[in-house]
Amino acid sequence: MLKIAVCVKQVPMVTELPWDEKTGTLRRDLAAGMMNPACKHALEAALQIKEEMGADVTVLTMGPPAAEEVLREALALGADRGVLVCDKMLAGSDTYATSAVLAAAISRQVAEVDLILCGAYTSDSETAQVGPQLAEELNLPAAAYAERLDISGRTLKVRRLVDKFRETLEMEFPALVTISMERYKPRYAPFEGLEAAFCRGQMTVVGAADLGLTQSLLCEKGSRTKVRRVFIRKAQKENVKITGAAAGAVSEFLDRYQRKIGAVIGKSIELKKRANDPAGTDE
Amino acid sequence: MQFNPCMKHKLIRSTARHFAETELAPIAAEIDQHRIFPREVIEKMRPLHYFGLQAPKEYGGAALDSISAAIVVEELSRVCAAVGLCVTVHNGVAVYPFLQFASSSQKEKYLPKLASGEVIGAFSLTEANAGSDAGSVETTAVKSGSDYVLNGTKIFVTNGGVCDVALIFALTSSPENRLQSSVFIVESGLPGFLRGELEDLCGMRANPVSSLFLEDCRVPQENLLGHLGDGMKIGLATLDNGRIGVAAQALGIAQGAMEAAVKYAKERQQFKKPIASQQTIQNYIADMATEIMAARLLLYRACELKDAGQPFGCEASMAKLYCSSVASKVTSVAVQIHGGYGYSKEYDVERYFRDAKVTEIYEGTSEIQRVVIARAILSSPIL
Repeated sequence: MLKIAVCVKQVPMVTELPWDEKTGTLRRDLAAGMMNPACKHALEAALQIKEEMGADVTVLTMGPPAAEEVLREALALGADRGVLVCDKMLAGSDTYATSAVLAAAISRQVAEVDLILCGAYTSDSETAQVGPQLAEELNLPAAAYAERLDISGRTLKVRRLVDKFRETLEMEFPALVTISMERYKPRYAPFEGLEAAFCRGQMTVVGAADLGLTQSLLCEKGSRTKVRRVFIRKAQKENVKITGAAAGAVSEFLDRYQRKIGAVIGKSIELKKRANDPAGTDE
Repeated sequence: MQFNPCMKHKLIRSTARHFAETELAPIAAEIDQHRIFPREVIEKMRPLHYFGLQAPKEYGGAALDSISAAIVVEELSRVCAAVGLCVTVHNGVAVYPFLQFASSSQKEKYLPKLASGEVIGAFSLTEANAGSDAGSVETTAVKSGSDYVLNGTKIFVTNGGVCDVALIFALTSSPENRLQSSVFIVESGLPGFLRGELEDLCGMRANPVSSLFLEDCRVPQENLLGHLGDGMKIGLATLDNGRIGVAAQALGIAQGAMEAAVKYAKERQQFKKPIASQQTIQNYIADMATEIMAARLLLYRACELKDAGQPFGCEASMAKLYCSSVASKVTSVAVQIHGGYGYSKEYDVERYFRDAKVTEIYEGTSEIQRVVIARAILSSPIL
């Protein structure tokens, strides 16, 4: 049976993302956690494969004890087991260290894995690095931002949208794919599944030592990212008054805002200049 | 006793919240205004066990504990109280009496369909002359061969417009010819089962509340719930449970209104600063938050007693009395914080304000809750 490992991350709910302005860090203690949306899509892809052809799905996460919640949710949705990598030694890991830890966890906890799925990026840091780095760690072929997977025997076809063209890649198992948020719309967790996930869900908690990760190895593999400064982008409302005759005011309004409006609605509203246009809408 | 939510309760809450915000938030105002029962959303809720929250797994339910079930109703009502009402009435006063009083063959026949939401349930006690005085029911059930023939009118039936099965309270004759109340499982397809027009109510407008008419409606005798004359016993036990659901609903409405008011208070600028910086508004917010927290703890205590198999009627009445009172007060203050905008349909607090009021009325008025509580306190040797 196909063996799938899905890496998920608990992130703060976006609407409840409190920052500590002094230290520039997330007040995770205040924010309610949830499964990162793209990770949910990756899990959905795994569950659809499981439903179509049968698969054994292990969900892994690295995080504090509270991160168990996203694993329970994954079990409720249909995953077979959860693995929580939890160790104070791992606190503050950047993507490089995280991928090394996840690689160790998959190697030890998911024997003979065929397919590793990750969300394309996380909503809290949006680096999109862990998936590809994990593939490097495990020396696996990888594709990022996949919108569709097709499996035939040991061959995986990955369709993905890159810039403005769509490409289809083919690779042999074992492989790693990061899933984008287009196609695999996550299902809702049923309450019976949630209840069962807490009663009889299969959950393993491992620390760094269980994965053979020592302090020195972690230092060597340790976080190389140094955060110099974190700042909050301020969005400010502004009232603008355009005065004068209607035609002139409309023209000025369009001059100022038509590009912005076009960007928001995803369609150009820029007008072509008409020869006898008294308003002089000249774009 | 635990005062912090456990991981399961947190996950149940975030799951129900995500569903409510995704599926109900975009339509809540519209279905309220036009009195639309959101069938498409109800269809999505069915496989997720919203209609079998506490039904055992062998009947296809989720077998949740009572706090989890209350959290689900809270979260639905925080966004759309009318759908919260549909769910809590179905689970609390339709599925629950089946679990407590139905025969094994009645359970086999009805519970799987009720727990899956394929069949929507209703509880029909109230009549024109029987409200708080539940003993004054005038609907009759007269034995005729192997059937009972039901005649009468039930009013203000929650889910009345869409229910497939209604529990009808009717007067029957005892062998000694004394009139006593009994409960019948009545399927909506039976001849003589008729629905009235949907009520045009102040709040909860997306719930199809209607009258039900029974005109020589023949119900097989195997559809008697419990025993002949069990009506009052079934009614009181069911209402004890239903009150937990209405308390949860009121709490959800209060939570939604407070969140809306806090958001607005931070955004609304007057005198060149957010109104949240005014001490008066801060006092309002502090009181709302404190009362909601107290209401929640009272509710969860009633839930814990119920799950422990202990008597919970008095605590359920306390929770219902307090949560509904908090809901009315908090929604009124939330409108006040919004000022003129709060009185407009443009903002959700106007709907919350209308929805909250009825939680002080149905499933036993606040006055009746005080009767229940006072009776329990006065008859208890330990206070």
